[in-house]
Amino acid sequence: MPLVRTERLTKSFGALTAVNEVSIEIEEGSLHSVIGPNGAGKTTFFNLLTGQHTPTSGRIIFDGRDIAGTPPHRVAHLGIGRSFQRTSIFPTLSILDNVWLAAFARQESWRGLAWRRADRYPELTRRALVVLGEVGLSEKAGQPAREISHGEQRQLELAIALAAAPRLLLLDEPAAGLSPDETQKMVALVRKFKGRYTIILIEHKIDVVMTMSDRISVMHFGSVIAEGTPREIQQNPEVRRAYLGGVPA
Amino acid sequence: MQFKVSKAWLAIVAAVVLLPVFVRHAIATEIWIFAIFGLGLNLLMGYAGLLSFGQATFFGSAAYVAGYLLKYFGVNVFLALGVGIVVGAVSAAAVGYLCVQRSGLYFIMLTFALNQMFYFTAYQWTTVTGGEDGMPGIPRPSLLGFDIHRPLAYYSAVAVLFLLSLWVMKRIVESPLGKILQAIRENELRAEALGYNVPRMKLAAFVVGGAFSGLAGVLYAMLFGIVPLESIGFVFSGNVVFATLIGGSGSLYGPVIGSFVFIWLSESVSSMWARWPLLLGVAFVIVVLFFRGGVVEAWARFWVWRAVRRAPDGVQADASR
Repeated sequence: MPLVRTERLTKSFGALTAVNEVSIEIEEGSLHSVIGPNGAGKTTFFNLLTGQHTPTSGRIIFDGRDIAGTPPHRVAHLGIGRSFQRTSIFPTLSILDNVWLAAFARQESWRGLAWRRADRYPELTRRALVVLGEVGLSEKAGQPAREISHGEQRQLELAIALAAAPRLLLLDEPAAGLSPDETQKMVALVRKFKGRYTIILIEHKIDVVMTMSDRISVMHFGSVIAEGTPREIQQNPEVRRAYLGGVPA
Repeated sequence: MQFKVSKAWLAIVAAVVLLPVFVRHAIATEIWIFAIFGLGLNLLMGYAGLLSFGQATFFGSAAYVAGYLLKYFGVNVFLALGVGIVVGAVSAAAVGYLCVQRSGLYFIMLTFALNQMFYFTAYQWTTVTGGEDGMPGIPRPSLLGFDIHRPLAYYSAVAVLFLLSLWVMKRIVESPLGKILQAIRENELRAEALGYNVPRMKLAAFVVGGAFSGLAGVLYAMLFGIVPLESIGFVFSGNVVFATLIGGSGSLYGPVIGSFVFIWLSESVSSMWARWPLLLGVAFVIVVLFFRGGVVEAWARFWVWRAVRRAPDGVQADASR
């Protein structure tokens, strides 16, 4: 049974239909990539899943119930976590606090919200440190997030998404703006989390997508024009015409 | 139980004890009252990044309601203070509910406009508030059998309440809520994506800030024996923003220092020089241009600068970073 399924999901901004009747099924535990040229509607699709946008029509079935139109802060509590294409962190807070806040948000109860000292939640602090360790930032835990490099900020971006203990992880171009070295590191990280989480990945670097994904959906002008395994996508003539162009099969 | 006292607390307790030796008691008392007022604003402005230009709404409302009860019903001090805190919190909840729907400039204008509404209500409703003349004749009943009419006695009571308020605010800003508010200030979109109901958290900051304002309002009314119309006016709202900025918004002790500078300047220099607001203006310009973190930041930078000057060459580069 798929963890998440969209049915003819559509979002229009005035005359522009950014996402057009998209129906996708994501299997639990799989890594499903969404590719397509700029402006194809990939990020809008993410924003629909996380509640930042309300769909014009269509349904989003997550774990058996329709969540279309649920506000973002509730979607987060259902277990959908995301990283942003443009780094979205809390710059003056420490790296540990950035991640801690993600972990705290997912607590069953917010006891002590306004009274207990934030450093007296040993379980949360431990979890935040574990996540930082996984992305390789534990040594910088005390530093303000604005002081680390862009590459490290992208790792922090990922750590924040992970600390929320998501059931579905949406990664919006995790390697955006990274050097080849940093990209390799990021790819290794995503690969490490493959299987542990159900992941939907938006990525432009085709070779990365082809080697990592279980399934790929190709978007073009708001519609899904093809879906299948990496091999099927590579051999699909329509995809090659619309998008892959210069990439050898 | 472990009991750690930080240097900052030692300094503040020392200031509380020594202030009435050097400064007129009424002024000393006003400094700590204004500091409580500033603590409430700082949670909104410094931590949550919400510039409220309407804090006098809560200060004044609490002062009027509690003043009325003190004057006509002779209620005891604790009830008056309790009512003031509740009135401050409730009025802040009402105003905050409307304001958190908007952000940026619109938010600021809403806090200001609603403040004006409260002001003109107080101005017109002369049978209760006394309008322009204010509400005089607020008594200062005894506290647990102690007579607090003597200035020093009242100062002591206010000082204790101030220390209590500071401790409570310290707990709040160090709690998860304090961190969440800072996160909202830094990046609202991300905070929301993590699962925080941003408007509700902002509202929480309003309510807490309003409660502190309310407490300050009642203490102010009992200090001067009158609720002046200005106590609910926008100039008063502006003054607390001003004082908090000078002290250092976003740091716990900023509004305390700001209140000291602001009240002390306005009360002592004003008697010598009628154009004293000029000094405040200069201080404000300096803060905005060079020390966005107010006196607190200037102080921290001074120590870094001194450490760099005293350090041998090798360490210099490191310390200046």
